[in-house]
Amino acid sequence: MSETIPDYITPEVKAIIGAEAPPITARHAVESSEVRRFHQALIDNAPRFWDPEASKRYGGPVAPMGFPVHVFRRTEEEPDPLAMMDQPDYDGVDRALRPGLPPVLVPLKRLMNGGYEYELFRHARPGEGIVLKSRYADIYQRNGRTGPIVFVVIEDSYETGAGEKLLRSTNTIILR
Amino acid sequence: MGDTQGAVFDDIEIGQYIPAVVKGPMTTAHIVRWSAAMENWHRIHYDWKYATEHDGLPDVMVNGSWKQHVMIQLLADWAGDTGWAWKVAFQFRGMNVPGDTLTAWGRVTGKEQRGRFGVVDLEIGMLDQKGQEGTPGTARVVLPLRGGPPVPYPFDPAILDAA
Repeated sequence: MSETIPDYITPEVKAIIGAEAPPITARHAVESSEVRRFHQALIDNAPRFWDPEASKRYGGPVAPMGFPVHVFRRTEEEPDPLAMMDQPDYDGVDRALRPGLPPVLVPLKRLMNGGYEYELFRHARPGEGIVLKSRYADIYQRNGRTGPIVFVVIEDSYETGAGEKLLRSTNTIILR
Repeated sequence: MGDTQGAVFDDIEIGQYIPAVVKGPMTTAHIVRWSAAMENWHRIHYDWKYATEHDGLPDVMVNGSWKQHVMIQLLADWAGDTGWAWKVAFQFRGMNVPGDTLTAWGRVTGKEQRGRFGVVDLEIGMLDQKGQEGTPGTARVVLPLRGGPPVPYPFDPAILDAA
């Protein structure tokens, strides 16, 4: 029996390459307590995250550099991701990979984070809003020994609510 | 406590290793603490049955998102409050599981003075306790010159082109 490798880059998937999300502001400003949980979970107690004396260069305590990447929490309007946990194939991850971008509708079950390229400018501080602009830079398929793999390349730009650049990233998500 | 003096460009030699950052041994609790802090509900990080039986993984997985911040910490610790970790790129190639001890490392591959500052290129990675590389990448860090001003904050790459 011959096996045909499916092409997951359908016209519907092709149509979202280059799609840009409108600027999206995180629901709430950066909070000291979430910064604390974040740097403690990183096992990184650098004084710039908590000590006013040691953070003068930054204008006061700051969040770890990559913190803005994780501030786009579920809003009250969005469905509860845990509501689907009774489905045995549900992996807990929304296929809408960024707020404001359309989901990548590829029927591959496993999602892995392939890596990042970061350019870093400034830490976010408690009280500041975070604004994200995202774009699907590319979506493509490679057929490996273990089957088809779809790569989703996302460009993200993070700024403060006042328009100050925080960081830029290029993130590759792998679906297989 | 004031600013931490980081590395100084004049002292840097190509081929040298920067101080490593070691984490671990990692446990499921460390992974769950991180997943909860960032509200990531991907089952492979806390649901052992799903990770092993459904996804065929050896155990629950240390988050790539956690490892990336350790890589940034490696560079930020070295740059201190007088330099700046400007660029960092890496691929998540290896899987890490509870029991692993992870060592983030960096080695200088190039250096160039630009304007009143120094730019240092590095190769970076993260080894497990068996010496297996799982997160290979590159980085670019801006450092002060000896006797020169600290790298201005917020960082603007245009300072490297100023006379």
